[in-house]
Amino acid sequence: MLKILIPSILLLPSTWLTPQKYLWTTTLSYSLLIASASLMWLATPSETGWSFLNCLMASDPISTPLLVLTCWLLPLMVLASQNHLMLEPINRQRTFISLLISLQIFLILAFSATELIMFYIMFEATLIPTLIIITRWGNQMERLNAGTYFLFYTLAGSLPLLIALLLLQNSTGTLSFFTIPYLPSTCSTPWAHKMWWTACLLAFLIKMPLYGAHLWLPKAHVEAPIAGSMILAAVLLKLGGYGMMRILIILDPLTKELSYPFIILALWGVIMTGSICLRQTDLKALIAYSSVSHMGLVAAGILIQTPWAFTGALILMIAHGLTSSALFCLANTNYERTHSRTMILARGLQTLLPLTAVWWFIATLANLALPPLPNLMGELMIITSLFNWSMWTLILTGLGTLITAGYSLYMFLMTQHGQLPHHLISLNPPHSREHLLLTLHLMPLLLLILKPELIWGWNA
Amino acid sequence: MAPPIYSALIISLGLGTTMTFASTHWYLAWMGIEINTLAIIPLMAQNHIPRAIEATTKYFFVQATASATLLFAGISNAFLTGQWDITYTPYTLTSTLITLALAMKIGLAPLHSWMPEVMQGLNLLTGLILSTWQKLAPLYLIYQIQPNNPNIFIALGLLSIIVGGWGGFNQVQLRKILAYSSIAHLGWMILILSFSPPLALLTIIIYILMTFSLFSSFMLTRTTHINSLSTTWAKIPILTVSTPLILLSLGGLPPLTGFMPKWMILQELAKQSLCPLATMAALSSLFSLYFYLRLSYAMTLTMPPNNPAGTLPWRLNPRHNTLPLALTTTSTICLLPMTPAIMSLMPF
Repeated sequence: MLKILIPSILLLPSTWLTPQKYLWTTTLSYSLLIASASLMWLATPSETGWSFLNCLMASDPISTPLLVLTCWLLPLMVLASQNHLMLEPINRQRTFISLLISLQIFLILAFSATELIMFYIMFEATLIPTLIIITRWGNQMERLNAGTYFLFYTLAGSLPLLIALLLLQNSTGTLSFFTIPYLPSTCSTPWAHKMWWTACLLAFLIKMPLYGAHLWLPKAHVEAPIAGSMILAAVLLKLGGYGMMRILIILDPLTKELSYPFIILALWGVIMTGSICLRQTDLKALIAYSSVSHMGLVAAGILIQTPWAFTGALILMIAHGLTSSALFCLANTNYERTHSRTMILARGLQTLLPLTAVWWFIATLANLALPPLPNLMGELMIITSLFNWSMWTLILTGLGTLITAGYSLYMFLMTQHGQLPHHLISLNPPHSREHLLLTLHLMPLLLLILKPELIWGWNA
Repeated sequence: MAPPIYSALIISLGLGTTMTFASTHWYLAWMGIEINTLAIIPLMAQNHIPRAIEATTKYFFVQATASATLLFAGISNAFLTGQWDITYTPYTLTSTLITLALAMKIGLAPLHSWMPEVMQGLNLLTGLILSTWQKLAPLYLIYQIQPNNPNIFIALGLLSIIVGGWGGFNQVQLRKILAYSSIAHLGWMILILSFSPPLALLTIIIYILMTFSLFSSFMLTRTTHINSLSTTWAKIPILTVSTPLILLSLGGLPPLTGFMPKWMILQELAKQSLCPLATMAALSSLFSLYFYLRLSYAMTLTMPPNNPAGTLPWRLNPRHNTLPLALTTTSTICLLPMTPAIMSLMPF
């Protein structure tokens, strides 16, 4: 574990000490090296489930795919931010890269934490670099509001979580993940138990986000620069899912009754946010709402707590992370050329940028869960286990799948097909950097078709 | 101010607090607090502008009232119990009166109205003394009276956290914001005082470190208004990195040091099964985080090439005595991993 963490920490001094000419090359190559080394976590032969242990950090089949995704994302973020940061003073470039690296450090510590309070502190610690990235390097005035919404929605959920965890620690003496599954349930008065249950889950549901508490997400995703959007969509939402998976073990048996409203809200959110996507004019907002939609399915899957549902949720989290990040990169290629996120201002790009159109096509197909991509595997496992839980959910999930296909196709047809608008006179051709970026996003997704056991979680 | 007078006043400030710390007799404790008040009055009025005189007058009236109440409570305690020991206050009347008098001295809600007005009239150094040194003697006395009924402390504490957050919402003057932040943090201290006095000590120490670094940052750039914060990037660029971190630490965000007292206090409250109180206190501290965030927006997150909010000031010759700032800023940002070590050092 430290083999990856310490090089990540040492990326910080190397960012500040590298000469200007080699800054981006160095950070890209070192972070790519760390990402390749992090693939070792995928080999987890241990019978107990926990591998690469030390006293404070460990990895198990649930956290391993998320850890690898986190480490994989840093070189991609560096690659994506290079263009829009080139015009800034060198120290600001270094500060930006340092913020990305510190996010990676906090995320590695969060996913590998073996104790709930450590997970909580690292969960909260990821807020500060993300806030700075969104509000300092965002491009529109609304980014200040976006940062405030982001910070306060998450904190309003996580402060009750802290108190719930401290209560649990008081009654059980420890919050270590190794012993948590074997603890007796903490029964107090029924009302207090229900409140405690809600406090434990609310932070993660807001982070996922659940449909009713999702307002921060479109703001934050849209106003963030490309690296901010990538890390938010790919990993930070999955922190919520991962936290829920870890903490649901101790929340039984109350979950059977209390999770009903949240499951229904999540499924309703799939349909509602999908419908909003069909009428969006802002490209990044469309991708942001599509994130809410997919995460609603993940939330519903995690809340019903069956093995197939957990596996499906984990697969969908990884696949959605790669897909959503790829879509944001594609939206950024549009934004860098036209400086606008409005879709009707940049139509018919297949004529102008045919190579990028290939990437748009693959990413759109991934978003609408085409077989044999892992997106479909995740969605299908969740839908099947939801059907087993209650057959009426099939209406909601089936409709959701239909609407997802609808808006993904709408996004593709709107940006790629049709006639070019008359005001687009000349656009730069796609850079090799952008092709590399999208390859690095979509190649793991395609390779996961061949060995999905890597992201199956405990069912491997 | 002439150096002999200035040093006499500073020494008297130190003498007053030390006398209160060293005393076990009510009369001596009261005298120490009075010396403290009298010593800081000329320091507040040192630049002779009408606003400063107004602040000094308000401070004098409030502190005189509180001291008189304190003396009355001490004498009543002596009358009822027959001895002058400050740790022996078995009667609810006298201990409540002492608590309220001392709450007025340090500016806890609902006796807080003087604090922002007084702080606004002072220069930043005197404001720093007011919000850190002047709190020590009264807090020591509250610590000593062995509170047997925690209800008044809980009420004072929770109200202070809410008022400290809510009152600072609309402020643009930095000194008023710092006054409300002081009210909120003292609320956290008083909240935990009846359950675990060492944690209150931890809270005040960490609060003094954080406030010292924030005041020093503002003193370096001579900013007193939120608009003038936006020119910090032109004066001392490194402050635009450190001050938002200090502000977020004051707001209690992990992984910064300011999270440590809140975490430990919430843990103690959870142990006492006071979870609704803990939830209310934690969520009320989000109010103060909002205006700290607004300050860091004004200072750093709207830096050029975005539109600056203020006009560029005259760059006069600054005094760069930055060693205290460096030390306190480092401890404000990096001290959270040392929580186990610090908690084991706390006396129980």
